Parts: sequence; C-alpha cells; structure tokens
Amino acid sequence: MDKQKSIKGIGYGGKLLKEMLRETERLYRGTGFYYGLENLPLWSDDPLKLELFHGKLLAAVIAGREMARMISASPQVREVAELAVALYTPEGDCVVQSTGLLIHIPIIGRIIKWMIEQDYEEEGIEDGDCFTSNDVAIAGMHTADVYDIQPIFWNEELVGWVGTVIMEAEVGAMLPGCMPCDATDRFVDGIKFTAAKSAVKDKHLKDFERRIRFGTRMSDVFLLDRKGALAADISVRREVARIIKEFGADFYMGAIREIIEMERRAQLERVKRRTVPGKFHSPSTIEVYLANSPVPPHHRVDRITLVPWDFHIRPDGTYFIDFDGTGDWGWHIHNCTPSALEGALSMILTQTIAYTGKANTGTLLTVQMNVPYDTFVYPASRLLPYCNQFAWPLKGGPKLMVQQSHAFFCRGYVEEVRAGNTMIAAGGGMLCGEDHLGNKEYSFLSTEPAGACGGGAFAIRDGIISEAIFQPDADMGNVEIWELMLPMLWLGRRFLPDSCGHGKYRSAYSVVSTFLIYQTPMLALTTGPSCQTTRIYPYMGMFGGYPGPNSFEKLLTDTNSKQLIAESRPLAHGIYSAGGSSDLELNIKGKLVVETRNGQWLGIVKDGDIWQCFYGATAAGFGDPVKRDPLLVKKDLDNELLTVETARNIYCVDAQYHADGKEWIINEKGTAELRKRRRTERLAKGVPVKEWYHKRRQQLLNGEIPYLLRKMYNESLSRGEHWPREFRDFWCLPERFMFKEE
Amino acid sequence: MSGISYPKEVIRDLVEGKLPWSQVKSIISGYKDDDRFEKYIQVLQEKVPWPEKILLPLTDELYIVQKGEQRITKCSCGFEFGDYRVNWKLNALIHVRDTEEELKELYPYPGAPDPEYCEMREYYCPGCGTQLQVETVPFGYPVVFDFLPDLDSFYEQWLGDPLPNKNEFKDLTSQFIKKEWFTENEKE
Repeated sequence: MDKQKSIKGIGYGGKLLKEMLRETERLYRGTGFYYGLENLPLWSDDPLKLELFHGKLLAAVIAGREMARMISASPQVREVAELAVALYTPEGDCVVQSTGLLIHIPIIGRIIKWMIEQDYEEEGIEDGDCFTSNDVAIAGMHTADVYDIQPIFWNEELVGWVGTVIMEAEVGAMLPGCMPCDATDRFVDGIKFTAAKSAVKDKHLKDFERRIRFGTRMSDVFLLDRKGALAADISVRREVARIIKEFGADFYMGAIREIIEMERRAQLERVKRRTVPGKFHSPSTIEVYLANSPVPPHHRVDRITLVPWDFHIRPDGTYFIDFDGTGDWGWHIHNCTPSALEGALSMILTQTIAYTGKANTGTLLTVQMNVPYDTFVYPASRLLPYCNQFAWPLKGGPKLMVQQSHAFFCRGYVEEVRAGNTMIAAGGGMLCGEDHLGNKEYSFLSTEPAGACGGGAFAIRDGIISEAIFQPDADMGNVEIWELMLPMLWLGRRFLPDSCGHGKYRSAYSVVSTFLIYQTPMLALTTGPSCQTTRIYPYMGMFGGYPGPNSFEKLLTDTNSKQLIAESRPLAHGIYSAGGSSDLELNIKGKLVVETRNGQWLGIVKDGDIWQCFYGATAAGFGDPVKRDPLLVKKDLDNELLTVETARNIYCVDAQYHADGKEWIINEKGTAELRKRRRTERLAKGVPVKEWYHKRRQQLLNGEIPYLLRKMYNESLSRGEHWPREFRDFWCLPERFMFKEE
Repeated sequence: MSGISYPKEVIRDLVEGKLPWSQVKSIISGYKDDDRFEKYIQVLQEKVPWPEKILLPLTDELYIVQKGEQRITKCSCGFEFGDYRVNWKLNALIHVRDTEEELKELYPYPGAPDPEYCEMREYYCPGCGTQLQVETVPFGYPVVFDFLPDLDSFYEQWLGDPLPNKNEFKDLTSQFIKKEWFTENEKE
C-alpha cells in the first residue's frame, strides 16, 4: 500500500476512506469472503465475547431509534414509527440495524459509499459532522425519507458511520405533503439535500436550518425530526465509543467485519436448510395515468409498465433476481432504482428468513440481481421525480416473499409461509390549506394506516390484522395524537366486511376510517400515489387463494353532518355493515365523490365534510376457499366480518342466523352439498387450457387487446434479452413478433 | 445443525393447521428442526391414496412423484399432470373471471380489476375440481410457471441423497406446447 497516501487518510490506521472501500471490494471479489475473512479469529477465540459485543451494538441502535421517536414532533414518527437507525463500517457496510423501516438499511450504506467516491474526505469529514441526504438520485425510496448520517471517530480515526432515517410528512414539493402525484421531474418534488453537510460539532448549521425554514411548509416538524435524528446518531456514536473503550479498537474493527461475514454464511445456510433450489417467475405491472393531469404537456401520458422477473434459488444458497424484460422508465414518480430494489430485499429477507437480529450487509451479499439499465428498474435519467420509488418494492416485493414462501412450503417449513402481504401503504392522502388552528400554511400527510393494512394468509392460519411488512412494529397510532396535527376528527375505524383475500386461510381484514373534516374553511386533498394499481391486480395468493381488494376512498362534500350533530342523530362510522347497508349513504346527505387510487386530486373540503378511506391492499389468501373450515367462516360471520352472501358464494357455506343466540349456525349437510356442487360446476365451466390458449393466442395475433397493453408488451419485447424469446415461444409467435400500436 | 427434532405427529398437526398457536409460536421462534423434510414427506405420503413416492410437495394439493422412470406432477386425488418440467397448469382446466358479476362476488367495492386489462385465471384440477391456483396477470401474459424446482441439485447437494436418473433442469413448457398443441403445418 502507498504509505504516503495512507498517512493522509482519516480512516482507521490512517488510511484514505477510498482506499479502504477499494480494499474491501477487492478482498470480497478475490476471496468470496467478506473482507477476505476465510477464517473468523475472534469468533474462534471467544464466541461469547463476540455475541456480547454484537448485543451491545444492537442495543445501541435500538435505543437510538427510540430516542429519535420520542423527540419527533410528527405523529407518523411518534405513533407509526416511520424511522430506523443502523451502524456501518467505514466503507458503508451495515453491521447492525434497529427495528423499524428496514427497507432503508442498504440505502444509507449506498449514500456513505457515494460520499466516499465523491471525495468528501478531501472536503473534510470531522467528528460531530452530520450529512443529510434525501436525494434518490444517489439512493433512496423517496424524497420524504431523510437520512442523517454521522461519522464515528476513535482517536481521530474514522471507525464507522451511524445513520438514521425518518420519513417526513411535508417536503416542500409542488403539491402538499411529501408525495406529489403530478410531479414529472425532480425540480418539483421537494427540497433536496444531496448528502449535504448539515451539522458541525453536533450542531445544525444555520444555513441548513434556513433552507428548511424557507423550503418546506411545516418546517418546525421537519427541523425537529432532524434534531431527533441527530440525537439518535449522537447516542449511538457515544455508545460505540463506550464499546470500543471496553473491547479495544482493534477488536472493534475486526469484530464488525466478522459479524458481517458470519451473517453472510448464516444466510447461505438458512437458504440451504429451509428452501428448495429452482426457478420462480412472476410478472407485475405499474399503471400511470397522467393524460388528463395538470402536468407539462409532453408528460401527459398514460402508460402501463411490465416488470417481469425470474427468482432463482441457486444450489450454492445464493439468490438471483433477474428483471430481464422490464419496460421503459417514464416521466412520473413511480420509477424504481437499484437502491430501491436493495431496500425491498432488505425489508423482505430481514423479516422472513434473516430475522435473528443479525441481518446486515452480509445478508444482502448473498443476493445478485440483473437490473437492466435504461429501464423502469434502472432509469437512465437523474432528472426524474423521486417521490414514490417504493411503488415496485411494495407491489412486487410481497410477491418475492410469496415465491420464497413457496420454497419454504416445498421444504416443509409451513409455519414460515405467507401468501403475499399487503402491497401498499394505501389510503390517507396529502392535505394542504388551512388547519383547525388557523394556520393558513398547513400541509401534511395522513399516514395513519402505514403499518396497519393487514397481512396475507399463512399456510396454516389466517393473516394478521393490523400488520404490514414495510412497517413491522407499527400500528395505526392513537387517534388523539393524529387529531392534534390534522384538521379532522375520527368518526370511526372499522373493518370492512368481505375485504380480505379469500382462501382456505384468508388474509387479514383491513380497516376503513371515517373522518369529519374539522374547523377548516378550506382543505385540499390528494390521494396518496401508492402503487398504481387501478386496473391490474398483482399476482398474489397461493394455491387457489385470491388477492384481496384494492383500496378506495369516498368523499362527501356539502353535507348535513352539522345538522345531524346538532340534533344528536346518527352520523357515519364505517362504510358497510354486514347487512349491506351503508351508514354513510343512509345518514349523510351531500355530494358524493368516489375515487380509486389513480393519483388525482380528490377535491376541496371544508368543515363538516366527510371523508372515508379503505386501507385494504390486496393481501392474499392461501388455498382453495371451499376447503376453509366452516367454523372459521362462522367466526367471521359472528364477528360481522363476512356477509352471508360471500360465505355462500365464495366459501360454499350454508349458514343461517339465529336471533335467539345472536349467532350464525352452520348447516353441515347443506355446506357439504354446496361444496360438492361447486367442484362439479368447476369441472363443467372450466375449459382445457389448450382450448383457451388457442383462443387467446388468436386474440393476440389479431391485436385484440387494449392499446396500453400492446404498448406495454412492445416495450418489454424490444428491451429484454431472454424474456421476449420466452414470451414468443410460449405463444408460438413469429421470431420478430411485435404488436401493432396504431 | 440445530439438533432439534419434533415427533412426526407434531409435524402432521402443524401441516394440517391443528397445532395450538403456543406450540406453533415456539417452533417459529426456535431453531429449525434438521429432519423436517424427511418427516414432512412421511406425513404427506401417509395422507395420499396412491403409492408413488413423493419427491417434493409442490402445493398443498400437488406433488412431484416418481412414477417408474418418470417424475410427474400429481394431484392428491390421483390426477396426473405429466412431466414436472412442463407447467402443470397446461393440463388443468381454466376459468377466467371476466364478468362484472363474477368479479363483484370477490370485490364488491370500488376498485375491482378491469377484465379488459387484467385476467383473473382460476385453474382447476380436472380430476377433483379443486381450485389449484388463481393467477392475476395483465391480459395476454403467458401462463405463469410459478416454480420449477431443481430436484437433482436439491437431493444431491442439499440432502446428500442423489436421485436416480438425473433429469435436466430445464423448463419444457414451450417445447410441450409446440409439440403437442400444434400440427406440423401450424408449426410453420
């Protein structure tokens, strides 16, 4: 190594950070072991000491996260826990991560590596500095996720980094809230910090604070979150210093690398012991409808993008995910990125197979991906708006989980099987205007349901209510706290009957919230952009189970709610009761607006209007519904979660309500007959796939499919390497077949 | 190796969804049992009414079994779908939910899939009428081959118990379609 260069560096042993990064990469490439660690000397010497060391680091990041949560002013942080904290090596590899928003862990590492590559070291990195980033052009899930990163020094040498991510509810974009649906380039999607120095000596720079004061609508909240994140970082930094003092710097530097290598090996072992090697396939789509939106004329385009992928579990225990055949990127907010894909993997693996508390960079080193450049998953432009990069991770990610579950099932670990999870933090929306306290600059995001959409079915039981993979330890939060921030009063939170993904085991029911708009003369609402599922449902569900319903919203303006309140008459508290009647329709008079989630303005509301959101999100069922235990159907009927019509039509259960006992009674004989009849009906109405195939093939040859789908397929047919061949081979189409687009 | 092993009865109850949640939770939280696959296969083999050896359960109803020299996909009812490397769905019955009435049964609220754009394909076993899979894909997408296991690598490299007569790990679906569903003239 060049000694002259080394003594200039701030890294451990006087090395340059870039040197350290190159060395780490070289060692891994050359040996296949993280940091070239074919042997694990510290582990071999004293495994318990290393376990203790790891436990202390883990406790440090979890404690840091809790501190930030308590300092934050935002209910989505305090109530919904939209944050996470992690510790990194000097080269930006994650060592330990807290609970929370696991999707961000590899992203912070990418930002650190980017800073090293950009020679931040030459510009000066000192103890007490903080770097803030929310620029997805570097790495990120969307502009609202703000990363605050501090270096960790020991004896004036950099021994690591700590990063905290907090999701902001307002980022000063063209539209209120943090996810402007109509942004079509990066210049209108909010304030951006491109890994900018934001604090020196643990104190925020005045210039940084001024940018926030003048660049966001709810600057107090944004700033207080930065203080919380900085406090979390400092807390972890100080704890790391204590740990180094206890264990010694050399032990620390060796141990953090062994922890990563050990996790890499453990992940490979887990895969070999719990899964079955092979190849999985699935398509997904992202729908974008901007033709009639107030965006620049050249961006007014409707489009559907195909994202097919092969998921390979290889005999060596590695995963390989191949996005060959993915369609074009576009001028909209939903494009994906390689860093977002890594985030999705972190979110899935940490919760489904690497859940020992030791997930880190080692987990992800076992995954390789083919992410074709200049496509939806790897756009060729840095000028795109980056406020919804989690569209695919949340829509396609759960299907990856299903595929891995399929492998668990084949191997016999049925208790780990999940038939797809909820795909979106759906519902809610962006609000701006005047709030209930008279603030005319009000702007916020309602993310009440973020962690509470409800999960997919298991192979051995129903899905878990109020659960979502992207936010594993959150719930909906306390209404009373939300009401402090939002000019709305909750009239009800209820489960929507029949709203699950049906199956032998069903997904969880999801929630509908009903809000009374409160003490605001004018509030503008846009729906959250979510995952752009309007026409095409994602391929979820396992072995005959169905995907659950999509989310939707209802809005009643110019209502009679004030009169009803004055007369102490019933309001609206849910959308439907099990009897099929809607208290919204029964009791509330007004102008009704119904929207699915296509990213348009919902409207202007005011004091007394009523807004309802259903947060369901296609979490799916497992197994043929007619195999469901009738007693489970009875339970859902008794709890008013299921209508008797659905019990009969989908589950083939014959049930009658007994008013005396206030319960449903199952007619076993009638149920058996219904189920027998259903199987016979299927045999009669189902056609051989061969017959269907020839009919469908002819339709494709004739171009008898909607224009947007023809365009979608053509993009993928012209971009992919092997996917186009497989598509044409399956349908026996000419070698150069393309759809006519005129 | 974890050294953990559960009685076959526990695995049977777990698979059938009959194990009390406290025990399931304990299994989830603990180290995984090393002999799960072996006992899983024993439990499943006892459940099916046919004699062929199960090589791998593919779904809760479908199995890859050894039948003579061949490895085929077979339903628990006995219906045989052919070579496991050909997507079993090709030999199933299909029904596409494409009417408003049918979709409303499942999705009574705003936001149901649009059948012009989205195909909700239900695949039934021709032998017993069980709904084996529901596929929701953009209209015109090929029938999805959900999972092609690499059986030989699995048995040889992971279980240390190689299967006789190695099969090439290859998706034979398109080959099957071309060979079986088109006449010589149509292939041109």
